Amino acid sequence: MRIPTLLSLLGAATALTHNNPPLQTSLTVHIPPSAPLPNPAALLPQTHATLNSLTKHHSAPLSDKSNFHFHNVTPGSYLLDIHCLTHAFLPLRVDISPSTSSFSSSSDPSEQSPIKIEAWETFRGNDWGNKGEKVSTEVSDGKSKMMVVVARMAGQKSYFMERSSFSVLSIFKNPIILLSLVSMGLFFGMPKLIENMDPEMRAEWEEQQKSNPMNALMGAASGQQGGGGMGNFDMAAFLAGSGGGKEDNKGGNNDGGKKKNR
Amino acid sequence: MLAMPSATTLLIGLLALPSAVRAVFRDEVGHIDYHYQLLGLPKRETTFFHRPRKDEQGSLLYTLSDEGVLGAVNPGTGGVVWRQFLAGDSNNETAVGEGFARAGEGEGWVASAYGGEVHAWDAVTGRNTFWARFPGKVKDLEVMEMTEAERKDVLVLFEEEEKGETVLRRLNALNGDVVWEFREVTKDVPLQVSTNVEKVFVVFLKGTKGAYSLKVTTLDTLTGKRLDELVIGTKANLNDEGDIMLVGANSAAPIVAWTDAEHTALRVNVLGLKTSQEFPLVEGTVEVEIHAPHLIQSQPHFLVHSKTATGNKGEVYHIDLKTGHISKAYDLPLLPGKGAFATSSISANVYFTRITEDELILVSSQSHGVLGRWPLKNTNSKVASIHAVSEVIKKAGADGSYAVRSAALTADDEWALVRNGEIGWTRPEGLSGGVAATFAEIPESEELAKSLEQEAHSNPVQAYIHRVKRHINDLQYLPAYLNNVPTRLISSIAGTDVTSSAGKLSRDSFGFHKLVILATKRGMVYGLDIGNSGAAVWQKRAFQISKGQKWDVKGILVNESSGEVTILGAHNDFVVLKTETGQVISAKAPSSEATTQSTALIDTASGPRLLRIGLDGKIGDLPVDKAPKQTVVTRGADGELKGVVFIPDGTTAHESTSWIFSLPENQRVVSIATRPSHDAVASIGRVLGDRTVKYKYLNPNTIVVAAIDDKTWTLTVYLLDTVSGQILSSAKYNGVDPTKPVECAMAENWFVCSFFGQYTLRDNSAQSLKGYQIAVSDLYESEEANDRGPLGDASTFSSLDPVDVPTGVALPSVVSQTYIMGAPVSALQVSQTRQGITTRHILAYLPENHGIMGIPRMLLEPRRPVGRDATHAEIEEGLFRYHPAIEIDPKSVITHERDIVGIKKIITSPAIVESTSLVFAYGVDIFGTRVTPSFLFDILGKGFNKVSLVSTVLALFVGVTMLGPMVRKKQINLRWSAPM
Repeated sequence: MRIPTLLSLLGAATALTHNNPPLQTSLTVHIPPSAPLPNPAALLPQTHATLNSLTKHHSAPLSDKSNFHFHNVTPGSYLLDIHCLTHAFLPLRVDISPSTSSFSSSSDPSEQSPIKIEAWETFRGNDWGNKGEKVSTEVSDGKSKMMVVVARMAGQKSYFMERSSFSVLSIFKNPIILLSLVSMGLFFGMPKLIENMDPEMRAEWEEQQKSNPMNALMGAASGQQGGGGMGNFDMAAFLAGSGGGKEDNKGGNNDGGKKKNR
Repeated sequence: MLAMPSATTLLIGLLALPSAVRAVFRDEVGHIDYHYQLLGLPKRETTFFHRPRKDEQGSLLYTLSDEGVLGAVNPGTGGVVWRQFLAGDSNNETAVGEGFARAGEGEGWVASAYGGEVHAWDAVTGRNTFWARFPGKVKDLEVMEMTEAERKDVLVLFEEEEKGETVLRRLNALNGDVVWEFREVTKDVPLQVSTNVEKVFVVFLKGTKGAYSLKVTTLDTLTGKRLDELVIGTKANLNDEGDIMLVGANSAAPIVAWTDAEHTALRVNVLGLKTSQEFPLVEGTVEVEIHAPHLIQSQPHFLVHSKTATGNKGEVYHIDLKTGHISKAYDLPLLPGKGAFATSSISANVYFTRITEDELILVSSQSHGVLGRWPLKNTNSKVASIHAVSEVIKKAGADGSYAVRSAALTADDEWALVRNGEIGWTRPEGLSGGVAATFAEIPESEELAKSLEQEAHSNPVQAYIHRVKRHINDLQYLPAYLNNVPTRLISSIAGTDVTSSAGKLSRDSFGFHKLVILATKRGMVYGLDIGNSGAAVWQKRAFQISKGQKWDVKGILVNESSGEVTILGAHNDFVVLKTETGQVISAKAPSSEATTQSTALIDTASGPRLLRIGLDGKIGDLPVDKAPKQTVVTRGADGELKGVVFIPDGTTAHESTSWIFSLPENQRVVSIATRPSHDAVASIGRVLGDRTVKYKYLNPNTIVVAAIDDKTWTLTVYLLDTVSGQILSSAKYNGVDPTKPVECAMAENWFVCSFFGQYTLRDNSAQSLKGYQIAVSDLYESEEANDRGPLGDASTFSSLDPVDVPTGVALPSVVSQTYIMGAPVSALQVSQTRQGITTRHILAYLPENHGIMGIPRMLLEPRRPVGRDATHAEIEEGLFRYHPAIEIDPKSVITHERDIVGIKKIITSPAIVESTSLVFAYGVDIFGTRVTPSFLFDILGKGFNKVSLVSTVLALFVGVTMLGPMVRKKQINLRWSAPM
């Protein structure tokens, strides 16, 4: 996918020291543009990558072409971390192993690379053998081929907490406030509504009200005390648990009557 | 758990972590925290102005400091453009200050060499253009100004000490490829490399120490083949590498110069010639520096700067390019005090800038006529410059006047830019290189302390009268206080900080206002006001530390009652200062030999003291009132631990070893952790979900010792009882890397250890792990809940007399768990609060991520259920399912977006409010903040919007006053309206 552009970046071919008995190779890690980071050139210069294994540690700074070059890496299975202040990267597993298959310079057979580089995603806290997607790709600039590890970005780091800010709108989003606003609207609006009705309709409506269980509430709201139905249900008395409904109902009625007479 | 995980499950695992991680709010940045972005002291040879882009005006100031930080500074503002911590790579060990940096004139890169690595950096962005590692240690780096190609190359001189080999490599400055290599196997000490147009010179010291002569090898620039070799007699007065002043690098006529030990004469050799010339020096010269241009096209002139004890002088010499003859051109007068010279060149012309204590003088190398003279303005005190670099600009126009800016290092370890005599900026670079620091309360005013004492010691009636008098006397401050009220009210509503009145230090009611006393390796002591963004209240040079040495501070202790701080050094030195002013009360300069292994904070009959522990753990007899009450743990000559008690005998107390803990063979101690001296424990037990209690094992006499076996790669963590030396618990970790840092921390009833591990699982050998890990262990009195173990409710116990013989000493029950960290951690420290009610954070520096993380203790809970979801009771307890990985959650990074470099140690201190712990970190950078592990529960934070509170109250008041009459009117109307 990004191989053609990589080529120009990787002028230096895999360098091998032939005289040293322990095999050594160099490793290139590339940061491709991605959704959280469209322009890798914007990364801070102190971004760097580390390769770690038991008793081995390598560190490489970020190059001007958004690569990390590791030199003199010996075979082994490494944990590759990219440390950056602004973006988080996924940890990778890099295996460097002596191998019969070669991908080094074909022009010079004496420099046949006995080194094989493979890289996968790895999962922290999981079995080391549990490998994810392969992230190493082979790139060739015509003369030589080499393996490049492509870094995976997890996303941008957000260090700060949002302050929950106070706004009037957030109050109106509260259902309790909404309910109370509706009831307030009814409290003020209903009497006006009733007054504006023509007398016939009003009489009809009042007739309906008498059989409406909501009457008790509405009656209180509209300043009218209808009788009958649930209208004369006395909540206080009911809750007090005092026996027979009828007598209490009467009491409720009486109460209403008293009010009217006042 | 080992089902194939995807990135999403990992993320969910992360999100499931408690929201107890309290991140920093953006508006708190700079309010609760402060940061000094430092470079370290710039070195003379590696500091320069350089134009990073050929076709653009404007240059940057580059330096490679004594701390191993390479940085670019904007000369206009003094802000850091970029920096690279070259000494931060743990694999790149080198002696302090052995770094080299150069830039090629007109090139867009800066080359640096440190340890065994050579880097080239983009001069504007700070990105790496190439890097290479070679065996051995770098001795010099030089830019080859003239090559056959259209570029400038880099020459690096390496010494491979084991093989006695010297290797000079020419590196292609574009990609770092080796163009050629010159290798020589001699026992000679390579010193420096220089070039002129056609040749490369390598200068060696030949012979044995005390009787060196100089050897100059000439190489071909194209092939690196040896052309010639010259040995220059030094008349056997060259004793040491340090006596060679400068091998005038890279000019048309590079030179090498040296003095004899007495500094009576200077001998100069033009490289490539066999003869050397001798010039007398000013009488009483103690130090000589040579300033020469670095450009090939510059005229071959140089300046000899000789410093005497009281003054300094400059002499300008010219070299005849044809004959190599050196002649003195003119003298710059001997001026009293310290001064600095700097060289700058505009094409062929060479200019010397002289900074004296009160002015800046510009002269040309041609003649002694002063081209410009600027008195130093805006300085309260005289500037004593140690060294400087300058940039000279010839102004366009007929008058031909000059503009000069110089970056000078002052004797107070500050880096100042002087622009035409005016101080542009100063950077407190001396704050870098911290070796010890401690928090100190701001001392209460002495008078108050005295009068309170007086009241305490007089009879009640007199005390009462005295007190009333004192209060009446205090009334004189009332008008000033009342005056302050409006500004305080406004700033309190607006949320800005009230700065302490009139620059006077005073405590605040929250306990955020304290001092930090910081000692640096260069012998400076600073008093920082952490209530005022860490501003330096005072600075004092405790000792003059000679070059190449450092102040090895072993202990620092503040005596709050007397307001004094004591600093003990390794070389039998000490200094006692006033915490408020930095006034030195008493001091003893370092001796030549290290005598101190460490120090211990002990309780004695005469109060807490720092006890000096000699080499191999020897302490010696002490007076009874200064003898420790506790057992002191020391390290013996063979690395064993010893418990030492002091037995009083008359007026002296004799040292007596009570136990010795010898590690098994092959093991070496890598980390020791003790409980902090302030370790408040709010509750002795932990209430579990089912309302039972697990009691904490709270033994104050415990230490954690981590020992590693380099052969088998095993880490053993011992918990020792310091009274009896008994091992209370031990744990062994396989596959631990001994080359990477292992660190432990301890508090309350638990301890943590971090290390890099790679091993196969014990319960499933098919699986293996690799990564940075942190192991946490909790100590309880018993395995069972509601059980206080063999000691029961006993209020005292003795480690030496076991309670019940069959089982021996009451051992703690240990619960452990290991987590994998997303990044290595170091400088572990536990947050401290006043009562210990607040949960704790483990503060750890992330050396790779350049930040400080606060790991919530709840996250590292060893009792988290493994392999199943937490039950309801466990959730109630704050436990959630174990997930082995702890990623570095940016929200838990208390340094947020700041780039913090080279932190060596973190210290914490409780504030007066329980929720808050003060944090201070030092090393290269300085960082301080306040952390609230259990949120800010006892004071109103910045998020509390006082304006909206007040306006809400006002709005309600207005609403009530308006609605009141309306409602009353309505009710009356209702009563009077006719019933329908």
